Amino acid sequence: MRQENMRRLISVASLVILALVFGFTSNGFFTATNILSILRECAITGIIAIGVSFVIITAGIDLSTGAIVGFVSMLCANLLYNYALPAGLVMFISVLAGTVCGVLNGFVVTKLRVPEFIATLSTQYLFRSLVFVFAIREMGVITNKKITDPGILIMGGSVNGVYLVTITFFALAVIGQVILKKTKLGTYIYATGANRKSADLSGINTDNVRWAVFIITGFLCGIASIFEIGRIGSATTDLGTGLEFEVIAAVVIGGCAFSGGRGDIFGTAVGAIFMAVLQNGILKYNLPTAAQLIIKGVVIVAMIVFDSVYNQYMQKRIHQKASEEAQAAGGEA
Amino acid sequence: MPALLEMKEIEKSFNGSPVLKKVNFSVEPGEVHALMGENGAGKSTLIKILTGIYPKDGGQIYWNGEPVSVEHRKDAASLGIGVIYQELSLIPTLTVMQNVMLGKEQSKFGFVNARKMKQKVAGLIEKYGFHVRADEVVETLTIAQRQTVEILKALSEESRLIIMDEPTASLSAKESDALFGIIEQLRRDGVSVIYISHRLEEVYRLSDRLTVLRDGVTEAVLAKEQIIPADVVRLMIGKELSEATASNNLRTSDAPVRLKVGNLCKKGVFHDISFEIHKGEIVGFAGLVGAGRTEVMRCIYGADPYDSGTVEFEGKPLAKQITKNIANGFGFVPEDRRNQGFTPLLSIEKNVALTNYDTLAAGGFVKAAAEKKLGVEMVGRLAIKPGDSQIPVGNLSGGNQQKAVLAKWLSRGLKLLIIDEPTAGIDIGAKDEIYKILENLAENGTSVIMVSSDLQELLRVSQRIVVMRKGEIFTEFASGRITQEDVLMAESGILTSGAKGGAPQGEAGTVAKEGGTNG
Repeated sequence: MRQENMRRLISVASLVILALVFGFTSNGFFTATNILSILRECAITGIIAIGVSFVIITAGIDLSTGAIVGFVSMLCANLLYNYALPAGLVMFISVLAGTVCGVLNGFVVTKLRVPEFIATLSTQYLFRSLVFVFAIREMGVITNKKITDPGILIMGGSVNGVYLVTITFFALAVIGQVILKKTKLGTYIYATGANRKSADLSGINTDNVRWAVFIITGFLCGIASIFEIGRIGSATTDLGTGLEFEVIAAVVIGGCAFSGGRGDIFGTAVGAIFMAVLQNGILKYNLPTAAQLIIKGVVIVAMIVFDSVYNQYMQKRIHQKASEEAQAAGGEA
Repeated sequence: MPALLEMKEIEKSFNGSPVLKKVNFSVEPGEVHALMGENGAGKSTLIKILTGIYPKDGGQIYWNGEPVSVEHRKDAASLGIGVIYQELSLIPTLTVMQNVMLGKEQSKFGFVNARKMKQKVAGLIEKYGFHVRADEVVETLTIAQRQTVEILKALSEESRLIIMDEPTASLSAKESDALFGIIEQLRRDGVSVIYISHRLEEVYRLSDRLTVLRDGVTEAVLAKEQIIPADVVRLMIGKELSEATASNNLRTSDAPVRLKVGNLCKKGVFHDISFEIHKGEIVGFAGLVGAGRTEVMRCIYGADPYDSGTVEFEGKPLAKQITKNIANGFGFVPEDRRNQGFTPLLSIEKNVALTNYDTLAAGGFVKAAAEKKLGVEMVGRLAIKPGDSQIPVGNLSGGNQQKAVLAKWLSRGLKLLIIDEPTAGIDIGAKDEIYKILENLAENGTSVIMVSSDLQELLRVSQRIVVMRKGEIFTEFASGRITQEDVLMAESGILTSGAKGGAPQGEAGTVAKEGGTNG
């Protein structure tokens, strides 16, 4: 546990340092408006990242989240614009649609036995195609229409300046952390990722666990889509493109290992905020796009390298401890 | 009172060759029962039948006198049979408590009751005086502590019988002592233990009874007072066989020294390893699992770092880089053939070429014709079957796979070949061929270091035999004819008259004495 707390402290510290760097080198970083806006920017990525953290802790991957958000957002916009359904019903359908996408992902992975990477790479195309099926058309041409339903636009709003999406993100993150640390499912998620054979031998149905994390991710994509429409007030066909990688970056920066069994939602939340701070801060420099992308790439790699160096260091310390004990034993014998 | 476990006339064959021939084995409540036998005697097959991993061909298992059928692992678990696996079966990122309770969490609406579970696990830890805490994360524990977690797992399932397979293989002396304390505690609690180990001194110390298996037959069941080291070794090997398979006349070569290792040390793994290998010699390295043989060889080859000491090759300090060593005429055949020895999906030709691209490629392009020619040549030279160099190595039989691995090295002018367990899992016919290849190599001037746990093999092929024990060189057999008994005793730290090399090191005397008092 101590090691985990140490790791947490370090990731929060690196976030604070990054924020301080931007605070001192650019104008208008440490203003209430800007901070609230950062917390809004990180929220969509963060909500999805909670689910993807689960998936990555089981040693899986989900490349389809961006496409799910694209599809569900378009579905949501379509139902509101073309059918003028009540906002509450549309939101329900949206979350349901996202969840069904997750069910499908889990089915392909656990029942058809397709590795996660390939499975979600493929379903991504399916979900992206659904975007075009549900796209709003005028005279047969896809048209970007403003959504005016006040019910959905509330989702883009704020309470005392704090955006609803931010509040939802934090609430979901807390729930996610509780699931991971306090429930059977959470324990099984770690066990599945760290040592699947052994988890199977302990009587855990690891296929169900892997399916469950995809369903949770789909569900969260559905929720994220509602906030996306609430904020933008329209849906384009390329909405959510590349989002899956933002999400994965946040999860990995937050300390989840691709090899599985490691990480938590606290880390992921820090990772999502880290990404948003980085994005926001770089923009304030007024740098050319190329320079912005380079900085972003370098910082992400640096974070990951740090993480692996740190893990190796901890591993070495454990070995040292073991051989010291062995030596102490030799001395006494 | 009926025995806790009774296995009667258990039979099992693999591909028509019998591995267990009407084996009888029984365990009393609260008894530590050692199960001993050479590699291939049938110990692990018997255990796998008991734990439901293999189905048996004949015989019956009784539990508390009742006939039972054990068809799955969970059948064994529900009877109360626990198995201590190596540390592999734990979840490193979870706590001790989570690991012990994995799959049987106490929970309400999916929420685990951490406090209750911790109480239970902490209670067990306290009862048995284990040195772990329930909330420690497993990956921060030492190997010995992880083993106690495995034992806790078995205890939490109310196991009446715990099977331990070579539990001390990776433990230090002190850690082993702690384990023996735990076993005593289990015995006092009425829990039975099946203890499988090659380490004779542990067996004398712990067991209440001892069953010796040899060639799939129950050779003897000894009561505590009958357990005498020399007798046990003789029973394991069989007297006639032991004499029939004595070694060649062992000798030290007077050819120039090719490899000289001086005071090689690696903290916690091995120390003060010194030996010389001459040109054209085959030197066998004997020892029990965990003696440090493979680790020494990997360091010499440059695959792992070491802390101190010298390695000289033909009088010059050896490079610590594998590539340079290969260029200098080193070859290395690892123990784990399938994962480290060859690339299963690639053809024989490509596998052979992998170590030879210094001559088979020019400017980054492979010379396809030369590659093919070499492949065909090696298939012919080593009689690899089927004789087609295009077949993926993964599709060959074990013996032919090993030949393909050898072909990687034999295609080069080899000065030193290190080969680890050359014939593990290979059938007898192919074994002979591999021995001939090694002998042939030596005749042509290649030095061969052969690490092996197969006593017959060591005696048959080696010109000298170095015995390692607990990370040290225990002794060396370099003259006369010796028997399996001599080697097996040395591996367990007992020197017999056969040993002529240097002064006996370590606790040889004390162990022999211990054996004496027991008998």
